[in-house]
Amino acid sequence: MRKQLPPEMLARDSRFVRTSIMDQILDPRNRKISERTIGPAKLAPGRPASADRARNLMHGIFTGEIQALEGAGRTMFDFDETEAPFALKLDMARQCWDEARHVEISIKLGEWMGTEIGEFTEATFLYEAACAPDPVLRLCGVNRALEGLAIDVFNTMKEFGDVSGDPVLEFCEDWMLADEVTHVKMGSDWLRRLTADDPERLERALDFQRTVDKLFSLGGFRGETDENPVHLARKLREMAGFSTTEIDEIAELSELARAEGKAAVEAAGSA
Amino acid sequence: MSDPFKPRPAFAPWDRRELPGLFDVEESARRVGAYKWIEMRLFEALGGWIATVPELDVKMILGRHCYHHAWHAELFDKRLPELREMNTDRLCAPANDAMEAFVEALHEPDAPELTIEKLVGVFRVLMPRKIAAYTFHLNGTSRVTDAPTQRSLEFILQDEWNDWREGEMLLQSLIDTPEELERAIRRQHELEALVVRAGGITGPGTIGTTTEVEGAGV
Amino acid sequence: MTIVSIVPEQFTLVEFDAERVKAIAAEVAKSVAFPSDVDIHIEVDEVLPAPLNSSQADYLEGRADLWFTGGAFEDTHKGRNIDEVLTRCGLGASLLRVKDRISGGFEDAPNDSEISERQRALWDAYADGRLTRIEGFVIREPRRRYVYRLECGFNDVADAAYDQLWASDATTWADLLEIEARLIEADPTERGAKPSVRRISLRQTQ
Repeated sequence: MRKQLPPEMLARDSRFVRTSIMDQILDPRNRKISERTIGPAKLAPGRPASADRARNLMHGIFTGEIQALEGAGRTMFDFDETEAPFALKLDMARQCWDEARHVEISIKLGEWMGTEIGEFTEATFLYEAACAPDPVLRLCGVNRALEGLAIDVFNTMKEFGDVSGDPVLEFCEDWMLADEVTHVKMGSDWLRRLTADDPERLERALDFQRTVDKLFSLGGFRGETDENPVHLARKLREMAGFSTTEIDEIAELSELARAEGKAAVEAAGSA
Repeated sequence: MSDPFKPRPAFAPWDRRELPGLFDVEESARRVGAYKWIEMRLFEALGGWIATVPELDVKMILGRHCYHHAWHAELFDKRLPELREMNTDRLCAPANDAMEAFVEALHEPDAPELTIEKLVGVFRVLMPRKIAAYTFHLNGTSRVTDAPTQRSLEFILQDEWNDWREGEMLLQSLIDTPEELERAIRRQHELEALVVRAGGITGPGTIGTTTEVEGAGV
Repeated sequence: MTIVSIVPEQFTLVEFDAERVKAIAAEVAKSVAFPSDVDIHIEVDEVLPAPLNSSQADYLEGRADLWFTGGAFEDTHKGRNIDEVLTRCGLGASLLRVKDRISGGFEDAPNDSEISERQRALWDAYADGRLTRIEGFVIREPRRRYVYRLECGFNDVADAAYDQLWASDATTWADLLEIEARLIEADPTERGAKPSVRRISLRQTQ
């Protein structure tokens, strides 16, 4: 088995269809949609087409969980024990089990919401964070950035379930949130341990995380304003070990990503 | 009312445990080190394969099993210092070169079309070997002196039986055609040949047979 | 003979073929036995993608007036392309609802822009249920059930009403209002009106 599996080699059955973020950014409709603001973009039951938007996001969570499972699995295999200590591998194995359960939960939730496996396309940008050649960078990319995003998304979906009175959605998201908080903590602990004597490595890892966090803000998908469908879950992030400064920084990165996304849409429209 | 101060036998009448067992401290530690090594190589392989198998059910099952084997490795790792092996890495090693070659071959399949080959290696070759080795250890070691290893092995064997059964069922559900059956048999044959050469996961004598295997590289 | 018209006649943001949409509408009209003396006008807002799916179906000035977001017809695997199965179902349900408005016991129903989300969910369940019994429509029942529950409540009363509507071939607007009252009694949670994504005229954004 080869080490370092690139995203294009992720194995999927015939139901899955892959898409790229660029296709979405270059969609000529984006520019026109931005002229149609009709209120807060946050995903909530009282917003237009909320059911289909929730189904779509739930499918995104499902494919994201598959990629998180694959990323944790690869971290165990790609590195020997001089690069990834035995105890780190044990934590990654535990994360594999958790992510496998999240995939199961997501499939069941998808069924509950009337969504078929593969109904929506899959982008592999989440797994890309798990392709860094340094395990510390992977921990920052996967356990802190990806799992941090998962906290934000699950919290949004949990609120959606709560407000809509959907007992299954609220129940499942709450359980998954509990695991994700653990995974973020795990990432933060290992980041400290592995870089205790190497401040430069720590800085490289945090830089990588900033890049990934900006990427995961998806041009305004996640943030703290009315224009963001998914909001930063500050309290849960604090519980997971993020400092207020770190959360503020993610909020700033999200805002920057939104502005850049808007500029990219305008540039694509005028090209 | 019975007299609480009346002497009773130290062992209950139904307790048939005996001294000594088959293994001394060194041998038990050597075996436990080999177990940890094989559990590690297994959970790493399962973790690596998750991204390479297209079948969604297999993907999720590998994710779950992966943790089981990591936990087994952790239990063995914790036992080693209790067996006077303070450097747990020293004994975490393959039993011999043939065993290392077996694991290398086990890890080999990579392509998404090779799920059967991946699963046969784990569920039709390695896991039956592990169950055999752990069962032999459980039955052979002193149930008094090596009780902590036995307790771990009992938990581990429970996992192994369950996971082996699930893996075997996965394979039965994947093998539909004569060609797929042929692939499974061929793969099992290739890997069995290597593990026979190694003499089992702790080398010759893994399950008590003492015949030296030529070229096992002990 | 039903005449089908469409706006826009040429799509510029998505790869939909307006003539093909018209042809599908004509086929669907026959399948659902839509009155042949009533013309059909379809408006597709191509700016709004999946999953921003929405539609309206009214009977205005003697013709069927249908409005859809582009997302309602969009292939979720191949963005900006049409999914003909989805398009058939969307048109089929809308035409059944216009047929209800003409002579199917829904003559008193307000226009789609004025009915509540709950009323719309009830009517959609009734329409999709009937479509499943007509050859040529592939309805994703679990999706419809989830959309319905979101608007009508996650409880046994709502589920029983859904099953009743799904199996029915003869429900009226009055029946629907009676069911709505039952649902409100079972789950009095206020569900505010959702803002409409429909523009009065596509020219506003073209």
